[in-house]
Amino acid sequence: MSESRGARAGVAIRGPIGAMGVAAALVTMAALILLAGVLLVEAREVLDWRFFLNPPSRVAAEGGVGPALAGSLWLTLIVAAIAVPLGVGTAVYLAEYAPPTRLVKAVESVLTNLAGVPSVVYGIAGLALFVRGPGLGPSILAGALTLTALTVPLVVVNCRKALQAVPDESRWAAFGLGASRWQVVRDQVLPAAAPDIVAGCCAALLRAVGAAAPLLMLGAVSFTTFVPGSPHDPLTALPTQIFAWAARPQEGFLALAAGASVALLLLMAAMHLVLFANRRRRKGTLT
Amino acid sequence: MSAPGPALPVLSTERLTVRFDGKAVLKDVSLEIPFGQVVSIIGPAGSGKTTLLRSFNRMNELIPGAKTAGTVRFQGVDLYAADIDPAEVRRRIGMVFQKATLFPKSVFDNVAFGLRAKGVEGDLHDLVEEALTVVGLWSGGAEVLDARALDLTAGEQRRLSIARALALKPDCLLLDEPTAALDPAASAKVESIIHALRHECTIVLATSDHTQAGRLSDLTAYLDSGRLMEYGATQELFTNPRNERTESYLTGRLP
Repeated sequence: MSESRGARAGVAIRGPIGAMGVAAALVTMAALILLAGVLLVEAREVLDWRFFLNPPSRVAAEGGVGPALAGSLWLTLIVAAIAVPLGVGTAVYLAEYAPPTRLVKAVESVLTNLAGVPSVVYGIAGLALFVRGPGLGPSILAGALTLTALTVPLVVVNCRKALQAVPDESRWAAFGLGASRWQVVRDQVLPAAAPDIVAGCCAALLRAVGAAAPLLMLGAVSFTTFVPGSPHDPLTALPTQIFAWAARPQEGFLALAAGASVALLLLMAAMHLVLFANRRRRKGTLT
Repeated sequence: MSAPGPALPVLSTERLTVRFDGKAVLKDVSLEIPFGQVVSIIGPAGSGKTTLLRSFNRMNELIPGAKTAGTVRFQGVDLYAADIDPAEVRRRIGMVFQKATLFPKSVFDNVAFGLRAKGVEGDLHDLVEEALTVVGLWSGGAEVLDARALDLTAGEQRRLSIARALALKPDCLLLDEPTAALDPAASAKVESIIHALRHECTIVLATSDHTQAGRLSDLTAYLDSGRLMEYGATQELFTNPRNERTESYLTGRLP
């Protein structure tokens, strides 16, 4: 299997289609390098250790992303802790257990549509449902719950695709040996779909980490002097911090915005590392 | 096992009709599988061979849109009754699918899967080795147990999938195209296993190779477009078919 895959990769480089593919890959890579390069050049004067720990300051040269970085980490952890089990569980129910009734089909299409709703709309819903309703205020918790609402449909849609990609034959093989539905799901379907489930969850979380619009709607702060230590502390995050700095006219703040963008990309890169480790594992175990 | 007399059917269907999304794939099929016999189901592609086989251990209901009407009995018990556990049905009536679809695990784990799902505890080595012996995959060396199932040859994989079903010691074994896509040597091995298994359990096999039905089975059923056209002793059906369609199929003149 791995041999034929290698051979196919070798063939793919030849011919016009292959050349187009290589060109497309190069353009994508160049765009990424250009983006990172521009950010690093813009941020060259602010990037040092202090930048990642310091709070924002009225003096551009002293500002840092400490609180925003911690806020984004808080958000990621809370969203992951709620959205992953809820989303994967829903996907497993829909793909493996739910009978194909009209209600189930309706739920599926609603989730698919929710996954495509612009994130700013979630901001308005979050403002009413979390900030004002139960009186959470513009806290990290309110932000995390809003981002969770945005993330769960994505997790469900991605994971359902992963589960549907497991061929029916593997389910039948286990059912045919007297396995219960739960045994089939636990022993066959979930292990086979696991790499795609992890990838699907990561993709959904990356969208949540990068979202600025809904957090701005909730009233995220961009000027806080302390690193948030609990979910009830004021909401602050990297994307909103970038937005706030980029909007300031004074000199030096654009460099801070670029620096915060670098911090956001580093956070996302760290999450991508999980994906890479996961992909390597998949290569090791399959065929 | 309390063996019923040879005259009693192990499996029987009465006016069995199976529809997928409203389209009837099996129509009014009534037949009896006697104890301890090898029964072949032959017929053109799409005639309902696999569906009939799958109705014997309630596999069709796993396909959305499948509807079963009529009755299927196993030793006189209605298999589709409300209080019947389909998992238990599938343990007693084992099935080997056309595609081996082994689990991406070791040979041992593949054979032990059904036993573990059933909740059998303790050392499974004896049961696993016994099942592997029947299909000729056990030669006394422990290394075969740890080998990855997907590294085996196609023929070995097919035999392993038979061993996997045999580990549960089923009363009845359903084989769907047991030698499809195997080379002649591997096919011969599988056929000799089926031949040897006659004494262990009742065997129903679906095959599109009617010469295989002739070699292996005591009884043969001819299915055509979901209808049972003819069913009887293999020799009789092959040498003196009563139905015109059966004769056309056997002589290769079916349009």
